[in-house]
Amino acid sequence: MKKVLLLAVCLALSAAGLASAETIIKVGYLAALTGDWAAYGQTEVKAAQLAVEEINASGILPKGLKIELVPYDFRSRQEDAVNAVRRMIEQDKVVAIVGANSSGVNIAVAPLVNRAGIPQIGTVSTNPRVTVDEKGRVRPYSFRICFTDPYQGKVLAYYAAKKLKLKKAAILYDVSSDYSQGLREFFIENYKKFGGEIVADLAFRGGVDVDFRAQLTEIAKAKPDVIILPNMGKEMALTIKQARELGMKDVIFMGGDGYADFMWDIAGDTLEGSYWVNHVSPDDPALRPFFEAYRKKYNDECKEFVNGILAYDAMYLLADAIRRAGSADPKAIRDALENTKNLKLLHATITIDPNTHDPLNKDAVILYCKERKAVFHDKVRPEEP
Amino acid sequence: MESLIQQIINGLSLGSVYALIAVGYSLVYSILLFSNFAHGGFLVTGGYICYYMLTLTNNNIWVAGALSLIGAGLSAIATERLAYKPIREKTNLTLYLLIASMGMSIVIENFWVIMAGGRFRALPPVIPTYPIRIGSITISFFDILVFLITIAFLTGLEFFLQRTRWGLAIRAAAYDLRVAGLMGVNVNKLISLVFFLAGLLAAVSGIFLSVRYTLYPQLGFITIKAFVAAVVGGLGSLRGAVIGSLILGTAEMLTAGFISSQLRDVVVFGALVVTLLFKPTGLLGKAISEKV
Repeated sequence: MKKVLLLAVCLALSAAGLASAETIIKVGYLAALTGDWAAYGQTEVKAAQLAVEEINASGILPKGLKIELVPYDFRSRQEDAVNAVRRMIEQDKVVAIVGANSSGVNIAVAPLVNRAGIPQIGTVSTNPRVTVDEKGRVRPYSFRICFTDPYQGKVLAYYAAKKLKLKKAAILYDVSSDYSQGLREFFIENYKKFGGEIVADLAFRGGVDVDFRAQLTEIAKAKPDVIILPNMGKEMALTIKQARELGMKDVIFMGGDGYADFMWDIAGDTLEGSYWVNHVSPDDPALRPFFEAYRKKYNDECKEFVNGILAYDAMYLLADAIRRAGSADPKAIRDALENTKNLKLLHATITIDPNTHDPLNKDAVILYCKERKAVFHDKVRPEEP
Repeated sequence: MESLIQQIINGLSLGSVYALIAVGYSLVYSILLFSNFAHGGFLVTGGYICYYMLTLTNNNIWVAGALSLIGAGLSAIATERLAYKPIREKTNLTLYLLIASMGMSIVIENFWVIMAGGRFRALPPVIPTYPIRIGSITISFFDILVFLITIAFLTGLEFFLQRTRWGLAIRAAAYDLRVAGLMGVNVNKLISLVFFLAGLLAAVSGIFLSVRYTLYPQLGFITIKAFVAAVVGGLGSLRGAVIGSLILGTAEMLTAGFISSQLRDVVVFGALVVTLLFKPTGLLGKAISEKV
C-alpha cells in the first residue's frame, strides 16, 4: 500500500514537472535517405528540420508545445516504408507523419495510418489514389500539399489553349506509365473544353523506346502548334531533340513536372523555348527567404528545390493545424487539417478540399527554358472552362 | 507519299545502327556458334570510353573515337578470356557459353553503374546533327554520316575477311573450328581477334547511339533488336545480318508510322517468330543442326 502511494506521489510530481516545462510532440518524417531517391529524401529532411526550428522559435504552436522531428529512412522501397511507419506509430508514438514524396509509397502506407488514426501529409505524391481510395472515398487521415495529376493536366490545357493561344495540340505519351496516361487523359478532356483540338495522339513504351522519329514524322504531318509531353525527363529530352532534327523548328513543347535539369545534357539548345508546369520555381521571388536560410544552415544549394520547398511548407501546414486544434491530439489535428482555409504558405496559399484532401485550386508554376535554364515564367490558376 | 519516304529514311538510319551491332553478333556466332548477349556491354563500354576520352582530349573525336574502338575491342577480348575460354576448354556445349554471356552482360552493365553512375550522359556536340532539307523530306546530317561510316566499316571488314591471311583463318574457322585448329591455326588467338573485331564494331555503334540518343548503362538493351535482325538475316552470315537489320529498321518505322506506334515491337518479335517457324536459318544463314 505504501509503495502504491509512493508511486502515485512520484507520478503526480513528475506530471507537474512536465506541465510546467514544455511538452515535446513527435512528428515522423518518411523519406528515402539511401537508395535511388536519396538526394530528394535528404533535402526533404533538411528542409523539414529547418522549418521545425523556425516553428519552435516562433510561437505558432499552442503554449508549451514543441515539435521534435523523427526522420525514418524507407530506402527507396515500399516494404521498408511500411515498417518505418509502423515503428513511428507504435514505438515513437508520433502525432503526425510528413512525407513521403512518392505516390506509390504513400498508397502503400495509407491503410496503416488510417487504421491507426495518425494524419499524414504527402509532399510530391501527385497520384489521386494517395488521398482517395479505389472506391472514390476520401482516406480520412491522408493529405497532400502538392497538386494532383488531374489538376496538372488541367493547368497544362488551360495554359496552352488560353494563355499561349495554341489551339492545335499533338500528344506523345508513354503507354507503360500511369502518370503519363493520367496526365494525357486530363489534358485532352480539358483542352477540348478550352476550345483546343487534338490533331495527333501517339504513344511509345517508356524505358524501352529511345527512337521517336516514326511518331514525330506522323505528328509533323498534322502540323500542331504545340506538342504535349506528359512523360519523364529522358524521353522528353530525346523527343525534343529528335523533333528538331526532323526539321520541326517552330512547334512549341510543353510538359508536366517530369522536367529535370539533366534534360539539358541530352537535348542541349533544342530545349530552349519550351514550357513546363511545375509545383514551384527556384527563382520565384517569394521563395528567396527559404533558400537563404537553407544555404546558411547547410551550406548547400538545395538543388532538389521542389522537394525542399514542399517539405518545408508541409511542416508549416501541420503546425497551423496543431495551432487551430489547440492540442497535439492526432484526431484533432486531422480535423483541423481538413478545414485548412486560405493558409498563406511560402510557395502558395492553401485550402484543403474536405472531399479529396487535395489542395483546392492551387497556384501552379510555369517554367520557361531560356539561356540553358528553366526560369520562372508565370503563376497560374486555371479558370473553369 | 512524302511521309512514306521520310519513314523509309528513318528506318534505314535506324537499321544501319542495328547492322553494326548485328554484324558483331554474327561474327562471334559464326566461329563459336553461340549468341553473345554480352555484346551490348561492349557497346556501352565503347560509349563510355569515348565520353571520358572526349573530356580528356579536349573534344578531339578522332583520338577519343580511336581509343574507344580499341578499348571496347580489348574489353571484348578480356570478356572472352575471363568468362568464355574456361568453359570452351571444358565442354563443347555452347549452351553454357550462352548462359555465361547473359551473366557477363549484367556484370558489364553494373560495372558502369558503379563507375559512372546511373545518370544519363550526352557526348559533347562533336558530331553535327543538324537537319538537311530536300524538298519536303528531312534528313539529319548525322544519319547520312552514320550510313556512310557503317558502309565503310562493313566494307573494311569484308576486305579483311576476304583478302588477308587472318581473314582466311576466320573464314576457315567459321567453316569448322576444330579442323582449322588441326591445320595449325592458333585458335585462341583467332577467337581473340574475332572478339576484338566484334567489340570494335560495337563501339562504333555505341558512339552513334550515344550521340543520337543518350549514354547510360542500360543502353546495351537495344542490342536485343539487333539480335533479332541477325537471326532474321541468318545468324553467322554477315551479309544476312546487314540485310536483316535494314529490313527490321524500316519495318519498325513503317509500323510505328502507319499502323500503330505500340505495335512496333510486336512486328519486330513477330518477324523473329515467323523466321524461326518457316526459315530457321534466316534469309542467308547456313544450315546447322543445333542452334542456341
